Amino acid sequence: MIPWKLVPRYLRAHPLRSFLTLGSLTVAVFLLCFLYSVVTALNAGVASSSSSRVIVQSAVSLYVNLPLSYQPKIEAVEGVVETCKWQWFGGIYQDRSNFFAQFAVDHETLLTTYPEIEMIEGSDEEFQRLRTGCIIGKNLAQRFPELGVGKTLPLLGAIFPRAGGEAWEFQIAGIYESNSANVDNNTMFFHFDYLEESMDTGTVIADPGVGLFVVRLEEGTKTEDVQRSIDNEFSAGPQRVQTTTEAEFQRQFVTMLGSVPTLMGSIGGAVLFAILLAVINTMMMAARERTQDFGILKALGFQDRAAACLLVAEALLLSVAGGILGVGIAKVTAPIFQQVMGTTVPGYDVTSHTATVALIIAIGVGAIASLVPAWQAARLRPIQAFRAEG
Amino acid sequence: MSDSSIVLDGVIKTYRKGGEELRVLDRLSLEMQSGSFYALMGPSGSGKTTLLNLVGGLDQPDSGTLHVAGLDISSLSNAELASFRADHIGFIFQGFNLLKPLTALENVELPLLLTPLSRKERREHARHALDLVGLADRAKHRPGQLSGGQEQRVAIARALAVDPTVILADEPTGDLDRDSADAVLDLMARLHEEFEKTVLMVTHDAVAAERAKKIINLDKGRLVSNLDNPGAKAANSPSGGTT
Repeated sequence: MIPWKLVPRYLRAHPLRSFLTLGSLTVAVFLLCFLYSVVTALNAGVASSSSSRVIVQSAVSLYVNLPLSYQPKIEAVEGVVETCKWQWFGGIYQDRSNFFAQFAVDHETLLTTYPEIEMIEGSDEEFQRLRTGCIIGKNLAQRFPELGVGKTLPLLGAIFPRAGGEAWEFQIAGIYESNSANVDNNTMFFHFDYLEESMDTGTVIADPGVGLFVVRLEEGTKTEDVQRSIDNEFSAGPQRVQTTTEAEFQRQFVTMLGSVPTLMGSIGGAVLFAILLAVINTMMMAARERTQDFGILKALGFQDRAAACLLVAEALLLSVAGGILGVGIAKVTAPIFQQVMGTTVPGYDVTSHTATVALIIAIGVGAIASLVPAWQAARLRPIQAFRAEG
Repeated sequence: MSDSSIVLDGVIKTYRKGGEELRVLDRLSLEMQSGSFYALMGPSGSGKTTLLNLVGGLDQPDSGTLHVAGLDISSLSNAELASFRADHIGFIFQGFNLLKPLTALENVELPLLLTPLSRKERREHARHALDLVGLADRAKHRPGQLSGGQEQRVAIARALAVDPTVILADEPTGDLDRDSADAVLDLMARLHEEFEKTVLMVTHDAVAAERAKKIINLDKGRLVSNLDNPGAKAANSPSGGTT
């Protein structure tokens, strides 16, 4: 039998200490959720990559364009259904701080190569029809409420400046939503033809070329064979290519962030370790203060495990409460972080998996922190507690 | 031994202090009869509290045998000793030793958690015990809201609540003023007279010892005397104070 009633009473007996311990646990669990969610979001593109697409880019660098003439040759490779050109545009909307990604793409094949993109406002037909048409992600539409369907999106060309320095003007034909993390909802897509024509007519001064080709494969095609065929096709130049799976391509971006995910993980580990020490300290203090009470309980006939259970229960109560609060705050603040970090960490979300992991860690911290004091409390002999000698 | 509640035979207890062995009880043999009230006296270091701890199962002898309530407790495990204490012993300490986060009623109810009583029955027992020590109206007070005398009476109610065979009191009046001490001593006498408990009380106080039926004297861990106290005062006697 354990006098459980003592657990909340002990916590209430030192309200400030309980509050501070709970507060630090809450902050630590929130930080863990945040960091874990950031790392998960950074890796989400890799995890959700499609195996029915491969990416063709310059073997030199992603920043080196490929000739437009490569497209029909790629499409002629066995197992290739269609291709979609992607070119990074890098325009500025009103101010540099309003950064979001913009791509010139083959409008006819964008939605067929990416079936995970769904139009939720406007229409694909309108996007196809308008030469200057574009579609924007739903998060972008939320971020800039003035950008609705039918509105004009002016962009100042940084990589592709218009002659005379005037802005590009795009007509918003639709708003899309991606149901997969490999396409984020903060991007703008427009007609590659429009960019190409502008270069051809001399209204834009830039070298023509394609950043990369997204290649959709026939179902059942061996990806490695297609990769090898495409790479071989251009092995003699003029521009050698590197064909990768979509997962590998996404992984390059995570790698480009260098040790950021590792750093995030390290910070999370340090936070965890610090809070573990803090909770151990709290529980050691609690155990020391209750030495006499544990002696009394044992003198009354309670078994050794009663004292140990009280300490473990107290630590678990604190850690579970801190865990729930921390996860709750992380969940509630997730939309705010989605807005703030939408372009840098697209797909940030505190998933139920993250919440469960954080709660398990919080409970683990409580359990580990109470182990030593609980063991000491169990071993304590009543006469030691009373310091009695005849 | 059938009439004896507590029997010690050749009990030795040694402590190590500063690298030196200190024999606190030296081949002590002693019998205490059931239902009697003993005062245990002697100078500091004579082994009084050690004897009390051994009888209460808080410690174990190095050698010799110790029977309490018919059980040989000298060879019990820690868990068995805990069960023995729960079933047979009621403790009253000099420093009261109540749990501060709990109310008076909850403190009295605490040892009853170890009995098969239902929650309602535990509450009734605890209230009855508090009533016996005259503190029914202080049931919801915490130890910090009670006087020293009241705290000790709550401790007595707690010791009484489980209906133990033996009540062990270590200087129960040591921290109390005379009036409060008299009230507590009166209760101790009642435990023995009305409830027929075996009471063993360690005391330095000659006035307190006067309440006992028998007075045991120890010195250097050995028995000096174990004598009847013909002048023992009954509970609620004119000089016995009130509850």
